[in-house]
Amino acid sequence: MHALSAKLKRTKGNFTLNVEVNFRKGITGIYGPSGAGKTTLLHLISGLEYPDEGNISIAEEVIVDSQNKIWTPSRKRKIGYVFQEGRLFPHMTVRKNLLFGTIFQSKDKPLIAFDEVLHLLELEPLVDKRPSQLSGGEKQRVAIGRALLSAPKLLLMDEPFSSLDMALRRQIIPYLIKINQQLNIPMLVVSHDLPDLLSLTRELFLLKNGSVLGHGKYMELIEKENMLDVMRGSGLMNVIPFVVETHDKENGLSILVNKDASQEIRVERELIKDCCLVGEQMNVSLRPEDIALTLKEISDISIRNQLPGTIVKLIRKENRIYCIVDVGFKLIVSITQASQHKMDLCEGKHIWCLFKSMALLVNV
Amino acid sequence: MRNWFHFSDAELNAIGLSLRVALWCSVLILPLAIFLAWYLARKSFRGKPLIEGLINLPLVLPPVATGFVLLLLFGTKGIIGSWLFDWFGIRIAFTFYAAVLASMIVAFPLAVRAIRLSIEMVDPGLEAAAKTLGANSFQSFMRITLPLALPGIISGFVLTFARSLGEFGATIIFAGNISGETQTIPLALFSQIQIPGQETAAFRLLMVAVIFSFSAMVISEYLVKKVHERR
Repeated sequence: MHALSAKLKRTKGNFTLNVEVNFRKGITGIYGPSGAGKTTLLHLISGLEYPDEGNISIAEEVIVDSQNKIWTPSRKRKIGYVFQEGRLFPHMTVRKNLLFGTIFQSKDKPLIAFDEVLHLLELEPLVDKRPSQLSGGEKQRVAIGRALLSAPKLLLMDEPFSSLDMALRRQIIPYLIKINQQLNIPMLVVSHDLPDLLSLTRELFLLKNGSVLGHGKYMELIEKENMLDVMRGSGLMNVIPFVVETHDKENGLSILVNKDASQEIRVERELIKDCCLVGEQMNVSLRPEDIALTLKEISDISIRNQLPGTIVKLIRKENRIYCIVDVGFKLIVSITQASQHKMDLCEGKHIWCLFKSMALLVNV
Repeated sequence: MRNWFHFSDAELNAIGLSLRVALWCSVLILPLAIFLAWYLARKSFRGKPLIEGLINLPLVLPPVATGFVLLLLFGTKGIIGSWLFDWFGIRIAFTFYAAVLASMIVAFPLAVRAIRLSIEMVDPGLEAAAKTLGANSFQSFMRITLPLALPGIISGFVLTFARSLGEFGATIIFAGNISGETQTIPLALFSQIQIPGQETAAFRLLMVAVIFSFSAMVISEYLVKKVHERR
């Protein structure tokens, strides 16, 4: 069953959005350059804009069908919308903002209790403040809480990270993952920043000039459908789930293993917050530029992480070569054309991927 | 000296009447002005400049001309007035109602303008957010737009009140200068000035007019500032 299916067409001036989508449960990242139609798509789904033609159904329930003249207004769609700027009501306290959606609900059981939202998003200290007294990250959390309390069947987020600095982004991501896992609400998250999206989900939906370019898992999109060009714009990133195996306190390193425990990597202990216990899962990000390839393992070198693997695919873009390497999981590595020639790299070749512990970023 | 504060019955009548006219005028205008201001602030439609021009016309038309138009429409021989009189026996021209109606027409553009500006300063995105949270248009207006525009609305109310207190031209033509019924402060002032030797009486009314108008403007300015602060 799809969380959301839609077929939509909308023309504004000389821009036309024409998409057909089927979103699964879980988190889907909608990625595309600015002007791709990402916000328009969210507006159409939430009912803030009318499609010229098309249909939308949420969990198989038809809410819009232009042919059969079905139109459900925004307020009845049960879609939570977290706006880019938060859009908190400035004349109300945080508590009133949070409870706004509950005023209009029928008295049936709410999806999530008020106290639970406060706890989940750590809003307890903020409830009596006014929006003008909040920081960007706090506003964003209140906006998310407000949307959750309106008991949505689907949560839309428009650039939830853009008003936040790096540190705050990393703070908000775990909340979003928690919401998705604990409350089982499908989420569509729009962003023009690929690394941000990848720290949240690997399920991507690529939009450009109002059309769908691809929809699927990040690595599969790069590998099979050659979507590299669209995604390259804001920087590629490897994001791999790992589990903490041990903390090597003596050397200040933590050892993580991948899902089937076939590979282990070492990261700086400092990067992992104290809250991460052995056995806890986390996402590790690694830039393709920070990985070096060698033909054999090198023992007398400071680089601690050396993973053997096979080149699955080589993609040439100008003078740069993107190698997709299978080391038990897929890694994307970028090297120069000169290196490729010198090492005679080709698909199927056995190689080692080297990266420093310090090059790794950890998202809890 | 003592005469400066010793108001005659006619003067007190004029002051009381002025306040009654102004209050009725502001109260009656408010809902209509809020609706129209919201409509003009949020909707675009064909012929919008025409409607805007029509509403603002009394702002620039000589008040005497406005009064004359009202007389043509609502006089006992006027288009609407004759109908009202024939069917219901209601006479509007040269009555208290005429004074209120004349004030309303003249003050209406001011009220709409002040309220519209404050509604335009409310981010429509907040209304959209309210809708995604389950509010319908009316609920989102009452809970979001109205409270945020409230200082502007009060300011519009005060301006209407003040403008109505000062209304002269349209009133004297349409409502006449009948002591105790339509003779408001400006009309009483006008009458006193006409009579030689009544300067003290005229001055008393002048003081009252200045105090009322000045307080209204101060309150209005203060509220406008508040709208800006709340953004």
